[in-house]
Amino acid sequence: MATAVTLPVPISQVAGRYFLYNADVVTFIRREHHITGVLIGNLPQAPQQNIFSGIPSELMPEEVRLLVEKKVAYVIEDAARHRNAFRNMSGSERMAVLAAFDKQGREAARKAQNKASKRQEEALKRKGMTAAPKVRNDSRASASSEAGVDEDEILFASPANSFPTPTLASTASQASVSVNESKPFGITPAMSYPALSPPTPPSESWPTSIPEAPPSYPLFKYLHDKGYFLSPGLRFGAQYMAYPGDPLRFHSHFLAVGKEWEEEWELGELVGGGRLGTGVKKGFLVGGTATDSVSKDSNTNEGLGDQGVRAFCVEWSGM
Amino acid sequence: MADIDEDAPQVPELSAVDIDLSDETQDFRFLNSLSRHDANTSPKIPKRGEKDFEPHATNLQAEILAASRVAMHTAISVLRTHYPKSHQIAHYDVDGGGSYIDKPTGTFQLTMGSVRKGGPGKANRLWLLPEETLYLLERGSLDVRWPVELGRNDDYGRHGSEETEGIPMSLQGAYAAFAGMGPSPPTLEQYLVYSGLKRAGYTVFRAGTDVDNEPHPTIDSGGNRISGPGPPSGFDFFRGLWSRLDLIYTHSDPPPNTAFGPLVRPGLYRSYAHIYRMLHLIPFHGPHGPPSDTPRGSPQPEAPFKVFYHVYKASPGFRKSAPGPPDFRIAVVSARETALPTLAQLSALLASTPPSPPRQDAQLYQKLKHGYRNVLLAIVDQGVVSYMRVADAGFGCERIYERKKGSGKGLKKGGQRRGGRGEGSSSA
Repeated sequence: MATAVTLPVPISQVAGRYFLYNADVVTFIRREHHITGVLIGNLPQAPQQNIFSGIPSELMPEEVRLLVEKKVAYVIEDAARHRNAFRNMSGSERMAVLAAFDKQGREAARKAQNKASKRQEEALKRKGMTAAPKVRNDSRASASSEAGVDEDEILFASPANSFPTPTLASTASQASVSVNESKPFGITPAMSYPALSPPTPPSESWPTSIPEAPPSYPLFKYLHDKGYFLSPGLRFGAQYMAYPGDPLRFHSHFLAVGKEWEEEWELGELVGGGRLGTGVKKGFLVGGTATDSVSKDSNTNEGLGDQGVRAFCVEWSGM
Repeated sequence: MADIDEDAPQVPELSAVDIDLSDETQDFRFLNSLSRHDANTSPKIPKRGEKDFEPHATNLQAEILAASRVAMHTAISVLRTHYPKSHQIAHYDVDGGGSYIDKPTGTFQLTMGSVRKGGPGKANRLWLLPEETLYLLERGSLDVRWPVELGRNDDYGRHGSEETEGIPMSLQGAYAAFAGMGPSPPTLEQYLVYSGLKRAGYTVFRAGTDVDNEPHPTIDSGGNRISGPGPPSGFDFFRGLWSRLDLIYTHSDPPPNTAFGPLVRPGLYRSYAHIYRMLHLIPFHGPHGPPSDTPRGSPQPEAPFKVFYHVYKASPGFRKSAPGPPDFRIAVVSARETALPTLAQLSALLASTPPSPPRQDAQLYQKLKHGYRNVLLAIVDQGVVSYMRVADAGFGCERIYERKKGSGKGLKKGGQRRGGRGEGSSSA
């Protein structure tokens, strides 16, 4: 499915937020590095709903930091790059880019056309009419889930349905092919490359800059190292939600909150978190970096992460 | 203040209505059933809870996960193409930060963009805000072009319209341009709220870009119209006045002598209400007027606790030239960068909204919850949005002792049915 990804991958930074636009990269880091991000974009094939979202994927600073530390990714400042590149582009460069878009547009138009005629044949077949002999009888068109082409329009545009002879149908579709041949589709790609020269990863001076992450980062890293998938936890009033596997297929187990080891906090928060967590069938997890005195104690050393993080799970016992 | 309802009955489990599918990542394999629009079958929404508890290293589970990931990858890889017939080209407006369309077609212009009289360009040029442009591009409805700067070692630029065409903007470029450049780009949080509401079918405008920026009295009348068969503004004013007179009147009923002597003097009383009125000593915040906690010096709300979007429910007769009073006012707050608002911030925010009193014949708890002014806070944490409604409740106005006997029944019902509050508030 996903094509190979060249490492390290660029993470776009716009106005202090981090984004991924490459679907391959999104899938790759999800599979290999257990970093999910949050898909925030619209799906052009199903634009009026909020259940499924698409590219871009927004990454938390914690996620970005983790990826940069692992040398899997690096951060690029997107706004400045785009501003400079597209405003300083010469006419000849622009024409070359436009030609590439035009070619891609023709390709898209041709594909859509093929798909449409295939559907037409399918429709004819369903109505008991034999289609033209050279029909490729392979898999049922999975067309319906595909791009935002107005398929119905194409499907019912020709009067073929009312004609019993297959020859007429095929000539009709051929005719519409030739009409559309001259009109390439407009293309809005997800990424600015290759119109914009692709970014080059930093070489010797790695890592160039490790992005800032909030104080709860040690807990984030600790849980991530343990194999959990972490996502923003505001929906449940926590900092992170910890999933035992990919959130696509698993429910979360913990509502996680990072604390300083010596931090004083309200008992009410403990009770509130514990009750909330138990109420939604999850554990309320508190964790932080243990101070030196604690981590040196050999009895408690078990279960400490690299950075001496300890985590506790609170459950509302409801006696 | 906030719509706290400790008295709400204990809800044992989330009912079907309360489940918000967008709460959690859904399995993308179900997207196909959502987007396959057969004319006969309405799209099937995936059911919640079709996930596993934990990985148990079986091939079956691994296969299902792989299938989900493939479905997701396929779904998010779809290329945005523009069918020639409906190909809508917009041009990035470098100075304004948004974009413009010279020949707008399509229904989106009924609820988006604005035509500037006497502005540059063609007469019916439609100007789009950054978030409008980005939303339409993301939706696959708009092909936005980078501007062509002529005269920059440009051999091709001047030959004809075909060649002065700008380069199509990618999604990546659009986020960079519309969230990162320009004079007043929306913050990412604001854009997410915008696109989320648009996807859900609402009509959204920036606050302050339409007639609704006027001072209160004009909105007041409309505000009432929306919240039910309320009286027009003049009446409201008098009612406010009346309630104040009423207060004075009741206080002076028997001259209060709180410094010396009993609150309730020995005498003949024919109703408890009379006595309760005499016990009414502590002044309370009157929600009819503007909130009293507003600091004198800075009555203007400041970002982020400032109404940023006006939201309208979808309605057939909507005209963007005369949108009327909005159904909701939303302030957008970043969860990671903002602390709880102070009373002064909240008061200033509420003061900037027009009065929207509850129906006087409504039940007690409904009235309290509805409040006299309200605003929605959209709290965004890394792409996840939660909405909270904050209302200025008139507790002091609802006199329990004056209620009629029969309304006790209403009281019990009042707090029960309530959506959109904290999801986790189920009880143990």
